[in-house]
Amino acid sequence: MGGNTRILKYIKLWFMMTGMVSQNTFVSRFGAVLFLLGKLIRFVFFLFFLLIIVSRTQAIVGYTLWQVILFYITFNLIDSLAQFFLREVYRFRNYVVSGDFDYFLTKPVPVLLRLLFGGSDILDVPIILLSVGFIFAALSNIGGVTIPNLLIYLVLVINGLVISMSFHILVLAIGVLTAEVDNTLWLFRDITQMGRFPIDIYKNPLRQIITFIIPVGVMVTFPAKAAMGLLSFNIVLISLLVGGLTLYFSTRVWQFSLKRYTSASS
Amino acid sequence: MKKYYLIAKNTWDEMLTYRASFVMWRVRNIIQLLTIYFLWSAVIPPGKNLLGYTQPLMLTYILGTSLMDSIVLSSRTYAVGNEINSGNLMNFLLRPVNYFSYWFARDLGDKLMNICFAITELTLIFLFLRPPFFFQTDPFYLLFFIFSTALSLLMYFFINFLLGLIGFWSPEIWAPRFIFITILGFFAGSLFPLDILPRTIYEILKFLPFTYLMYFPIKIYLGHLSIFEILSGLSISAFWVFAIYFIVKLIWRKGIRSYTAYGR
Repeated sequence: MGGNTRILKYIKLWFMMTGMVSQNTFVSRFGAVLFLLGKLIRFVFFLFFLLIIVSRTQAIVGYTLWQVILFYITFNLIDSLAQFFLREVYRFRNYVVSGDFDYFLTKPVPVLLRLLFGGSDILDVPIILLSVGFIFAALSNIGGVTIPNLLIYLVLVINGLVISMSFHILVLAIGVLTAEVDNTLWLFRDITQMGRFPIDIYKNPLRQIITFIIPVGVMVTFPAKAAMGLLSFNIVLISLLVGGLTLYFSTRVWQFSLKRYTSASS
Repeated sequence: MKKYYLIAKNTWDEMLTYRASFVMWRVRNIIQLLTIYFLWSAVIPPGKNLLGYTQPLMLTYILGTSLMDSIVLSSRTYAVGNEINSGNLMNFLLRPVNYFSYWFARDLGDKLMNICFAITELTLIFLFLRPPFFFQTDPFYLLFFIFSTALSLLMYFFINFLLGLIGFWSPEIWAPRFIFITILGFFAGSLFPLDILPRTIYEILKFLPFTYLMYFPIKIYLGHLSIFEILSGLSISAFWVFAIYFIVKLIWRKGIRSYTAYGR
């Protein structure tokens, strides 16, 4: 089977699985509406919180209101896109303890692909669209954003998604080795939440740690800095290198974990 | 009384059984706390003032929310809805225990463990970050702080229980709780003291229960409130405790009448 045909097959599979997961989500329309409402409330409240702080202080570590909003919304976009595409990871523990993971291993679909993209959460779509709208508003209000900076912003957002996916692969690998998924996943999400604000608020060595060791800074803060023209070309290259290395490391750990999988349940 | 002590102790032991899970939960709490701590450290530099909050007062407030979170917001009653939905409630109705006291005892066991961890974490934060901290020494404020915290604890217990009772009429118990937690996270004052909000919003919030779960007790501790403000705040707090208690009782009675415990 040619490369293109295979990719088309996987995209079709993703649509089918997302369709099935969405049907499940809307079994209780009341619950779906409430969850969506909760996500929107959280989004609006946090924007309001930023507005309150900046209106009282004029700036946070030198950043204006729209710049702070761009940091938050960029975080939100990457976080929501990762949640949308990688929602299946949240269901992984069940697959391990129920034995379904063994069943996936026998299927003619790369198991990592199945576990990462096995059904997206449709309820994240409104938040993603809202984030995109706010990014346009923030960029136009900040002013002076050049086309090259905008392109670097897009490249670094994709790089952020790659880093987020790598973390999710690590979570899966830990899940295969220990059957522990939920806590690791939520720990990762809490660490990335540190990127809701410009990482300049953190003091060293914490700032260095969350920039390069646990690359939250590279993942969610650097794209916004690039759009504002605050990132040198060298740092952009280093960011891409960090993204590539994180992906390489996580896939190696994943392969290591698969070799040690002993089929805990079935 | 002894049986409720044993229930609380069992909850404590349960948490020790799943140690890794609990420790991860506490690590997450520290990360969330540090994020807000560093944000406010950056927003109010030493020597500056924001609407009456100096850096030591603001950081005391933020660190105080961590302890209040353990005392007030750590709870097991989120499981009540599941118990009703799964039919497990029937097991409790047949036992010689009061269902409310049972959950309150579980809450106490949970809170005690969380408080121990919160104190350890705060000690570590003090050792490593050496934050400027405001120590309240006036026994007047300390006593009112303790009294207000006790009311908050009861209020949160009944609110949480009330949310669980949705399980009598709907299997959808998590979505309403998700909205509640989102609103609580903002209006209880865990991210910021509520009095930095615009005046009109703050005046409305003063009449809602969320304000009295975290913000109000810490404000008493900081010595920011006059005796009139403390007494009026405690009165509103007490009103909400009794109001929510009676609503819970009423809904519990209605729920039990319609309860069918299918599958059991």
